[in-house]
Amino acid sequence: MRHPAPPLAALRCRSRRTPAEHESVKPRRLVASHVAWQLISFAFFFGVWEIAGRWPVSAAFPPFSQTLLALVAMIADGSLAKAYVSTLQPLLIGIVLCGIAGVGFGIGMGLSRTVEWLTLPVFIILQAAPMAAMIPLITYLYGIGLTSKVLAVVFLAAPVIVMNSYKGIRNTNPSLVQMCRAFLGTRRQEVVKIILPYAAALIFAGLRLGLAMGFIGIVIAELLITPTGIGDLITYHSSVAEYPSMFAAITSIIAVAALTLYGLERLERALFPPEIRGS
Amino acid sequence: MSRFLRIPLAIPLLVTLLIGAFPGEAGAQANTRIKYALGDVISVDELPLLVAVERAKKRGVEVEVTAFKSEEVATQAVINGQADIGQGTPYAAIQKVNVPIRFFYQMSALQFFPIVNIEHYKSWKDLDGQEIVVHTRGSGTEAIMRLMAKEHKINYKSVSFVPGSNVRALGLLKGTIKASILDATNKNYVMKEAPGKFAILPLGQVKASDEALFATQAFLDKNQAAVAIFVEELVKVNREINKNPKSIVEERKKLGLLKDLPAKLEAEILPFFEEAAKGGIFPNDGGGESAAKNDLEFFQLSGALKGENLKVGDFWNFAPLKAALAKVK
Repeated sequence: MRHPAPPLAALRCRSRRTPAEHESVKPRRLVASHVAWQLISFAFFFGVWEIAGRWPVSAAFPPFSQTLLALVAMIADGSLAKAYVSTLQPLLIGIVLCGIAGVGFGIGMGLSRTVEWLTLPVFIILQAAPMAAMIPLITYLYGIGLTSKVLAVVFLAAPVIVMNSYKGIRNTNPSLVQMCRAFLGTRRQEVVKIILPYAAALIFAGLRLGLAMGFIGIVIAELLITPTGIGDLITYHSSVAEYPSMFAAITSIIAVAALTLYGLERLERALFPPEIRGS
Repeated sequence: MSRFLRIPLAIPLLVTLLIGAFPGEAGAQANTRIKYALGDVISVDELPLLVAVERAKKRGVEVEVTAFKSEEVATQAVINGQADIGQGTPYAAIQKVNVPIRFFYQMSALQFFPIVNIEHYKSWKDLDGQEIVVHTRGSGTEAIMRLMAKEHKINYKSVSFVPGSNVRALGLLKGTIKASILDATNKNYVMKEAPGKFAILPLGQVKASDEALFATQAFLDKNQAAVAIFVEELVKVNREINKNPKSIVEERKKLGLLKDLPAKLEAEILPFFEEAAKGGIFPNDGGGESAAKNDLEFFQLSGALKGENLKVGDFWNFAPLKAALAKVK
């Protein structure tokens, strides 16, 4: 039995907001609640850190407040900015190289069985290789300069970027490819108008994950090859027992990496619809 | 609980659980089995230690040596109670960390060699406005090079950091490094590999510890007898080396130490200890107060130690050394 729809006036009596207002208020409330819980979570984490530092968990473990003060001091004296200029140089070179060559390889592997047969095992092995163990090999071959650090970034970032690009191409919806063929589309049109746009989201996700691996690579390189940039700040402050500054440097690189990746994830969501992102 | 609640709460809870699961071991009990943290690879220069360890074992003091990646890790092991004795010169950590840790024995004095490629430089004056390469920022090698610059009234263009004497030695041989500072083993290696290509610059009197032993005050108080036996054996080995450097080669064979040493390194044992004995690197008296005073001066200059009027008693405990020296007279 269908109930008759309540008159509009009656609805207005029950709620002071129009349905349209309801739609806009609900997400705003959810967002506010989400942000509030995130802030509570951070406050709880930093509180636990403060207690652990004052307890102390270890005599060398500084409380959050001291770490924060050290971070502010490092920002104020310019040492943190100087370190980031040094750290970001090999990271960006490595990521740009992977972005061009890695995506190229991935697309090539996705489109050609021969390229796949030749290069897929290399990237699978690279993906499984423990990076820290490969650092001595890189330094023996390329010394201790910028090249070695760029290579450390490339070795970690390239497999993720290549594999994502390759999977993006391979996972193109076959119905779309068949549709293109049914309309007598050429191979070029099939690749440019169907496959590449469809794979774009996974390629972008690969670049984002590659950057995450790149951050790991550059910090490992700066700690194990020569101490420069953030690696230098960590090593130096550790050697002179300035533990709050050492923790501040570590926290800053974690924060920079996390915020960069969060920003890229938001960009990815804005650029690609969920059906292409596969989520 | 909503998804929004679960995710943010999960992270801090996980962290809290992790912190709670690994409490500090500052209260760990020590006995005559001494856990020794070495911040280096066990090699030729550790032979005096290894001999002393074997001899102390025969006297009921078992010293268990663990090699860590760096001096910092070895220091953390002592601070957190996972090791009883550490080897190194962590003056900065002792000054800043709120744990009473004291040095009690100087194993060896600094022995470094400023080295230059003679195609480019021949003297300290030639290094004015040039790039030099040292171990790390704040290290003893940097302090020595800066001290020499001050003495010779020169200014370096830049100071680069390449950790590891062996890595800098390779850089010198490859030509990527033109001026640096090396330890004895690597200086000998470079001079042997490229005779006539490099020169050692004269170094003034730099008296500071390269390696010293440290432990928590509590450990030293609780284990006076065991520590005295160990220090006694260390002093005896040093005296034997200074009297006759060949003794360490014989002792190594007798005790079967460093059996897997490559023939190339084996040949370097005697020259290394002959040079060390000549340079007075291994003290006959465990360093004592003079070593402590020199260290404070040197590490203050290097920037590792901060503040004025530093007191030897805040860094050193001489009781174990005095007890040991009383027995080896």
